[in-house]
Amino acid sequence: MTWGSAVLWGAVLISAISQLSVVTWNRDLLQVWQKADAERQAMAEEHSRLVLEKSTLTAHGRIDTLARKRLGMKEPEHTRVFR
Amino acid sequence: MAHEQQELKEGIQRWRFALVLGAFALLLFVVAARLVMLHTVEQPFLFEQGEKRTVRSEVQPASRGMIVDRHGEPLAVSTPVTTLWVNPQQVNTSELSQVAPLLEINAAELKRRVERAQRQGRSFYFVKRQVEPEIASRVLGKKIAGLYGDTDYRRYYPAAEVTSHTLGLVNIDGKGQEGLELAFDDYLSGKEGSRQVVKDLYGNVIKQLGVKAVAEPGHDLQLTIDLRLQYIAYRELKAVVQSHKATAGSAVMLDAKTGEVLALVSQPSYNPNNRADLKPGNMRNRAVADLVEPGSTMKPFTVAAAIESGRYSPGTKVDTSPGWIRVKRKAIRDHRNYGELDLTGIITKSSNVGVSKLAQDLGADSMWQFFDLAGLGRPGTLGFPGEAVGSMPYPEQMDDLRLSTVSYGYGLSVSPLQLAESYTSFTDGCREHVSLLMSQVGQQPCERVMSEKTARQILDMLGTVVGPKGTGKRAAVEGYLVGGKTGTAHKVGRGGYEDSEYTAVFAGIAPISDPELVLVVIVDEPQGKEYYGGEVAAPVFARVMEQALRLRQVIPDAPVEDEWLQVAGGSR
Repeated sequence: MTWGSAVLWGAVLISAISQLSVVTWNRDLLQVWQKADAERQAMAEEHSRLVLEKSTLTAHGRIDTLARKRLGMKEPEHTRVFR
Repeated sequence: MAHEQQELKEGIQRWRFALVLGAFALLLFVVAARLVMLHTVEQPFLFEQGEKRTVRSEVQPASRGMIVDRHGEPLAVSTPVTTLWVNPQQVNTSELSQVAPLLEINAAELKRRVERAQRQGRSFYFVKRQVEPEIASRVLGKKIAGLYGDTDYRRYYPAAEVTSHTLGLVNIDGKGQEGLELAFDDYLSGKEGSRQVVKDLYGNVIKQLGVKAVAEPGHDLQLTIDLRLQYIAYRELKAVVQSHKATAGSAVMLDAKTGEVLALVSQPSYNPNNRADLKPGNMRNRAVADLVEPGSTMKPFTVAAAIESGRYSPGTKVDTSPGWIRVKRKAIRDHRNYGELDLTGIITKSSNVGVSKLAQDLGADSMWQFFDLAGLGRPGTLGFPGEAVGSMPYPEQMDDLRLSTVSYGYGLSVSPLQLAESYTSFTDGCREHVSLLMSQVGQQPCERVMSEKTARQILDMLGTVVGPKGTGKRAAVEGYLVGGKTGTAHKVGRGGYEDSEYTAVFAGIAPISDPELVLVVIVDEPQGKEYYGGEVAAPVFARVMEQALRLRQVIPDAPVEDEWLQVAGGSR
């Protein structure tokens, strides 16, 4: 075996091992990304649910009836404007 | 034994050896040939089959953009839901019917349908679409073979019936069907993503092979609508439509200075979140899609045209006695003989005879020009599906009778939105273009209809309509000077104008000193003794305006009668 072929063999081995490690690394990263993406999705879902919930709870019709019925509020009948 | 061994060595050994060797060689050849076959001829098929078992093409649904009001309050929101489906070939129907109660569907019915799909050899059947994620995860948690769940989006409208006509709605597949959802479907919907992945036994993605399209979420749409004003307008309109047993109604509120649509409501309405009892008639956006004859609300335009001609001023007297005039074969009447009226009085009393005389004097050409400038009879510019195109007779089509009727608002038609738009020309003489989207605001410059001076004079005339002598007393708002014009139009029926079916209209501006808001209220076919615009529509105007002005914190401009309050306030 000449020096040249020994170097070539060494290079082949190194490239094979590094290729394997890169593939493994890539898959690990993919897993991380998958998890993060799922988390993002879940948060987006939660956000839209919360937005809906908030707007349902603060709906004008609801506030109106609550103010009138439960709190006994009413609109001022005679407005006096102070200027 | 030794003898036999001897024989073997000598005779048969060679051909036997050759036979066995040959057989092995043949077998080896067969295996090699099979290998070559698999690697060359059958390779594409096998490769594809292999891919099919590991590579999945995944669709990533894109969420539809929100629609929000001018302050960012959500009006339409998409929220993720789960669509449950089964592969009837893989599912055990008795196992499947366990989940029926969770989904609130009939177990026997579900079983029957899935079994039928099974017999037909189908491999897809919707169990239930748009299930709430919480329930869906409980159903999927039972790990029934052949039952799958896909993410999907469902549209919710938090303001429900208050905004339903403007927003429209989407179908179960998330495509816009009506209103803005239809008009801006492409803008709102975004793009679905799709990618190819390798999945392992547990459904985890272990390799991403390629991305065909990246999911792009839809864009948000911001409207000029103010949800608070929209709600007020809706509540008051609904109340009047119910109390007068009217068939329909609509109201439009515009920002007088910019033409932004602040409220756009119609009655009857529907709840877009519950499609079970949807009636097509209720889905009509009457404020935009319906044409009405504006009736007397057109009179200010006739008077403005007269002043703009330079031959009239607000004080010019017009003799309206004896309370009617004959034009061709038809008599045009006032309620009673008002005698000699100045132009202001014509508006205050809403004299048909007065405006007819003005129109006859001005002629068809200049009348048409002025009305056209005011935006009457033009197509709508919102880009709303089903937006009505107003009609206005051309000067050649206007004989004396037609000219007279146009002068008091018959024989031409406008949508409530157009009427409101044309009324913005009274604020400073310049007609604003209406806009429903924040991105459109201020895109088009306003169109000069009349001089600022004329506009101011018309505003003061409109103020007298709401005054003690006017036809629109009930439109008055305490603390503010408001102006407007009542209108009562006979409805067109089968045999011409109906005697007892009316459209009550009120179009007004507030406050007069520095206009902020334009509001048009239309009530269709009010029943009972009250049917005039001043009796039915004007009170709605007053109630909505009062609340809207308070909400927008507009400074009251009415002179204060109470001396003590004046003292307390000091000079302004």
